[in-house]
Amino acid sequence: MLFQIVVNGLISGVLYALIALGFTIIYRTVKFFHFAHGVIYAAGAYFAYVLFIQFDLNPVLSFFASVVVTAFLGVTIDRLVYSPLRRQNAPNLVYLIASFGVFIFIQNLIQLIFGAQNLSLRTGQVAEGHQFYGAVITDIQILIILACLLLFVASWLFIRLTKFGKAIRAVSDDPIGARVVGINSERIIMITFAIGSALAGAAGILVSLETNIDPAMGMNAVLKGIVASIVGGIGSIPGALLGGIFLGIAENIGIWQIDSNWKDTIAFGVLIVFLLLRPSGIMGVKTDKEEI
Amino acid sequence: MEYIVHILILSGIYMILTLSLNLMIGYTGLTALGHIAFAAIGAYTSSLLAINFGISPWIGLLAGAILASFLGLLVSYPALRQKGDYLALTTVGLGIIVYSVLKNWVALTRGPMGLNGIPPFTFFGYGGSNVFGYLVLVLFFVLLTLIVLRNITHSPFGRILKGIREDEIAASAMGKNVNKHKLIVLVAGAFFAGVAGCLYAHYITFIDPSSFTMMESITVLLMVVFGGMASLRGSIIGAAVLVIFPEMLRFLGMPTSVAAPLRQMIYGLLLVVLMLWRPQGLMGKFMFKKTL
Amino acid sequence: MLLQVDNLVKTFGGIRAVDNLSFEIESGSIVSLVGPNGSGKTTVFNLITGFLKPDSGTILFNNTRISSKPPHSIARAGVGRTFQNIRLFSQLSVLDNIMLAFKYGTGENFFNGLFQTRNMKAKEGKSRKRAEELLHLIGLSEKMDVLAETLSHGNKKLLELARILALDPEIFLLDEPLSGLFPEKRVQMLNHLKELNRNGKTIILIEHDINVVMSIAKRIIVLGSGTKIACGSPEEIKANKNVLSAYLGKAIL
Repeated sequence: MLFQIVVNGLISGVLYALIALGFTIIYRTVKFFHFAHGVIYAAGAYFAYVLFIQFDLNPVLSFFASVVVTAFLGVTIDRLVYSPLRRQNAPNLVYLIASFGVFIFIQNLIQLIFGAQNLSLRTGQVAEGHQFYGAVITDIQILIILACLLLFVASWLFIRLTKFGKAIRAVSDDPIGARVVGINSERIIMITFAIGSALAGAAGILVSLETNIDPAMGMNAVLKGIVASIVGGIGSIPGALLGGIFLGIAENIGIWQIDSNWKDTIAFGVLIVFLLLRPSGIMGVKTDKEEI
Repeated sequence: MEYIVHILILSGIYMILTLSLNLMIGYTGLTALGHIAFAAIGAYTSSLLAINFGISPWIGLLAGAILASFLGLLVSYPALRQKGDYLALTTVGLGIIVYSVLKNWVALTRGPMGLNGIPPFTFFGYGGSNVFGYLVLVLFFVLLTLIVLRNITHSPFGRILKGIREDEIAASAMGKNVNKHKLIVLVAGAFFAGVAGCLYAHYITFIDPSSFTMMESITVLLMVVFGGMASLRGSIIGAAVLVIFPEMLRFLGMPTSVAAPLRQMIYGLLLVVLMLWRPQGLMGKFMFKKTL
Repeated sequence: MLLQVDNLVKTFGGIRAVDNLSFEIESGSIVSLVGPNGSGKTTVFNLITGFLKPDSGTILFNNTRISSKPPHSIARAGVGRTFQNIRLFSQLSVLDNIMLAFKYGTGENFFNGLFQTRNMKAKEGKSRKRAEELLHLIGLSEKMDVLAETLSHGNKKLLELARILALDPEIFLLDEPLSGLFPEKRVQMLNHLKELNRNGKTIILIEHDINVVMSIAKRIIVLGSGTKIACGSPEEIKANKNVLSAYLGKAIL
């Protein structure tokens, strides 16, 4: 039984982690909570639905095409909404509210087009899972875990080793200094949104391999992603992974004895505890303190 | 005719919500999102008291508002320690926890099935289902809220709130007890939101958790922002416009499956447009400050 | 002794920003706190005014321990300060900025506001008059209803001064009140400070301009790396070798 909890926790955990990954990379560069990340996640699932179910496209092709489209969507949002706000030197609350606005707009656009009901990307029979140590895990679930971990490693390597990755870190840590050495921060931010949004889209598609999709799937997802980010340490890539898995397992342990409907309460309980007691998260990232 | 009165009643209820949120965000700078949770507490308290114990809605109103202000007191714990984004996140989390509890504690709240047959207000045996009577009741409370808030904000106390919004540290250096003021604002704001919740419950005579989601909180936030931060007049107008306008969409003869998401899309678009071009809203005299 | 600081220690990370600092300020004196950047001057102000809690050591004001009190209590007790980076209430009017500094007592509380009591209105009237007087004194009368953020730098500094005058503390902790000011405004500001002292107020001044320090301060405390390097009259300080090396580095000697 315990092992099943760990398995379940791992599955939802890596998905939370993937959402958190995109979110945290974006946060690092722009320093505000990009809520609309959740609706990009949903859009990814819906793009995949259109390509795979409606146009009967090859699944791998659908996946990659959708991810590219979501990356594009994320960049568009940044160009249309956040970039002008940056030029105006807007305070954080403005970005937050604008992000809500984008979220609501796109979520309801999806609902307008596809309707409010659940849709499914899953075809074929329900696969039987593999058994080990008293837990059951299906091929798809293994795929999800592997895919997420792969994306994590890829992102981490990208940020650590490539020129772009270094530029992203420079802009994150010291936007003015980065400009001084000639980095075009607007372009870097654009790339960050592309990567982050692609990851969100990927997460949305992966999750739809396991559950149904509906237009409102984004809010809960991004909130869980935020919880995972904070728990792991906002801005930290390994933190996103740790935070996500921590959250996934905490939720599943929590509902072991009680109704599974209390998952959200547990998740946000965890969030609030961390926000109050350890806002720097597991990895202990530095949170800005106001200078007097 | 009754339809118009119905719209006015809803506007009135939203006005009270908007005014009370404006006190927190607009005047004092507390980014306490998740405002609808206070209304939910008020609504459920007075409904349960009425249904289970036959307690008069008048007493239920007081009880609900007081319980809501206790939640406000609870929010003050993080509010006194966190700023900007982090406070926003905590209050969002608290709002979702309240929603989850209402949805899952079926024994108390009947969960998603909601509470039915909530008795309406009666005034010495007169009233009941008289819509005009209810309008008078709501207008009375709108006026009461308006007068109370106007008095509070147009006074040395109100000036201190604005000082806190502008610069907490400077306010402390001038001898103002910032924490005490924030506490009072949270309790007072929550109180009135609780009142609004009760008025809603005893009017519609049916409530369920779906009336108290994050989307509702964002709607109230939109009304505050649209009307103008720190503008009481703005809140009145903002609430009225944003309740009345979508109703006009109905007359365009669209099916609900189109009208509902379309209305939300307009809200979302409005939020973005406001943030880009007029963050101070219709009548706001104050532009958001760049805080942490 | 109006203010007594004893063995004050404050560490950030691994760095001792304030390292066993002790000094005394006599009532009615003007003392200047000087030292190179990073010597801990503003940190000392933050510790005295309660915005930072000392790791150890005591701070006595009027023989009462204030080290553990919250900033607003310390301000109310009679310790006023300005900020190096100017902290005005940007989107409030110049007038409101000053009105916020007055000590109201009960007149400013919630219930007085709620019921718009006569008490509150009377106090408002008096404060308003006093605010206008101060604005006139400082020379900002015509800017009374203007938003504070629209003022020029020099006027912002003056407003900060007017605000602390409205607060009317016993001791004024001024953090670089002259920085960024043009010569005429500097003279104006200096005259205000001298007048303040003549009226019996105690002033501690953080200042970088040696000429200003020499002209106005009766006593100078020199800080370096969080400790007191020297303390004495302007003449004594001028002659002190340790002071020179703190500012210019050991190489000069």
